[in-house]
Amino acid sequence: MKTQVFIGFICLGFCFGGCAGKDYDPREGGFFGGVAGLSSGGYKDRVQEREARLEQLRATQRQLAAEQIGLEGQKSVALAQVGKDKGKVSSMQAEIAALEKKSTALAKKEGADKGRIAELQKRTAELKKQMARQSTSLDALEGSGLGDQEVDLRRKQLEQQRNALRREYELLMKMQMELAR
Amino acid sequence: MRIGPFCFLAVLLLLTQGATAAPVEEIVQILRSRALDPPPESVLQTLTESNLAEGLRQIDPYARYFRPEEYRSPLSGYESWVGIGAELVPQGQNVLLSLYYGGAAEGAGIADRSRLVAIDGEKIAGWDLHRVAARLRGEAGSVIRLTLAAPGGRQETFSVTREPFRPLDVEMVPPGDLKVLRIRDFIGGLTRSALLATVDFVAATAKEGKDFFSEHLIIDLRESSGGDLYEALDTAGLFLPAGTALATLRRSGGEKRSFFAPGQEKLEMPLVFLVGPDTASAAEILAGVLRYHGRARLVGQRTYGKCTSQTDQVLSDGSILRYTNSEILFPDGTSCSGVGLVPEVVVSDQDLNLLSRLAERALGLPPQ
Repeated sequence: MKTQVFIGFICLGFCFGGCAGKDYDPREGGFFGGVAGLSSGGYKDRVQEREARLEQLRATQRQLAAEQIGLEGQKSVALAQVGKDKGKVSSMQAEIAALEKKSTALAKKEGADKGRIAELQKRTAELKKQMARQSTSLDALEGSGLGDQEVDLRRKQLEQQRNALRREYELLMKMQMELAR
Repeated sequence: MRIGPFCFLAVLLLLTQGATAAPVEEIVQILRSRALDPPPESVLQTLTESNLAEGLRQIDPYARYFRPEEYRSPLSGYESWVGIGAELVPQGQNVLLSLYYGGAAEGAGIADRSRLVAIDGEKIAGWDLHRVAARLRGEAGSVIRLTLAAPGGRQETFSVTREPFRPLDVEMVPPGDLKVLRIRDFIGGLTRSALLATVDFVAATAKEGKDFFSEHLIIDLRESSGGDLYEALDTAGLFLPAGTALATLRRSGGEKRSFFAPGQEKLEMPLVFLVGPDTASAAEILAGVLRYHGRARLVGQRTYGKCTSQTDQVLSDGSILRYTNSEILFPDGTSCSGVGLVPEVVVSDQDLNLLSRLAERALGLPPQ
């Protein structure tokens, strides 16, 4: 979101810069000041000055366009990653639901270790909540600007947390298999 | 102290009116058999439906009774909310705003831990926290004018638009060029991994040649009032060799269980915790364990002093009893309960509110 606002600001600033003959491009301090010295002299000089300005204008426009393409590219890569992450979270949610079902069946079994099953069920319920939280966080990320530092950090944290939750799931699966023996 | 719990308390008060009877006998039985230090029978017998809240508090200062509709697991982590993106921190007669990274108040240019002077032109002197919290709440998109005094700075009025916000599990707070990581809560299964991700992120996005954590990794625990004990122990395990003793849990009847650092990813940079009077419970355990092993130093003020852990027990009618079921002991058998942790570098109240000053003190510590 912040990135989009920032791009808008740069473009707007550039238009003003062109009209007023001042440097409003925040990335090019003193750029227009450099060609302003050409404005004394005859018609030829003024044409040269305009051509020089025009060329610089085109160069800046090309640079901005390239930056924008780069940012859009980063954004679409990040969005695709979020899409993939959502897929992984959905499949883990399905796996956890199956684990929950099996735990319930296990609890009904004759002679089952009730204490350990209760622990398994408690941890499975927590895991289910954490995965639901992952899912909502990814939904929120999809609607965000992506590329913003805070959003990138959030995505990184979610990814690392999902890996940790996956390990937790694997431990619970192992525990369930031991209990089922 | 947070805005969220005030909402929760208000709802709790409304809901408790005309609610069904609490299973007092069941509660008495649980406390008798499983509380860390079971109260005498004569005290247990005084518990009744009508004095339950107060009676529980007298038995155990951290005990609470929740009806199912009032309950929210303390381990479920942050939900998103609408607001200014800040917590209220009472300090003496003052109310400070602790800002969330990326929240509306931070975006409006407010300095962290600024003292709240007035809301929409009305001075808040003499208001209790409930009233302040109620005035800060509002619809998304609505604007509030806050007059604040920045730490060590002048008074200024800001317009803040309330917006939906979801805090990061580990925030990255930049005082100047530095990177300080802030943990407010220990959330089961999430905080340790969020910390690892944040350290990686800072390293990956650092400008060439800049290694933020080569001297010290600074973790701000000033507003960390606790959370999941096991998550705090797992986080401590990140900084210690596999097999190192972390802590021992003492339970009812003298039962003890010890925990050791697992062998997984490790972080090896020197560590400094920023702590204060609101640093409590799981946060104190993390700081205390790592300091015991000479792995971390503390900068700030004496911590709260709560090295006990509570559990939430679902009762037969679906209501919930929270009670203290264990005490956490450091590897030498001591506990922080009632005494807190005294930092190596103790700072004034004014410095405690200035992250840049605290970070400076942390970086000034000689190598360990």
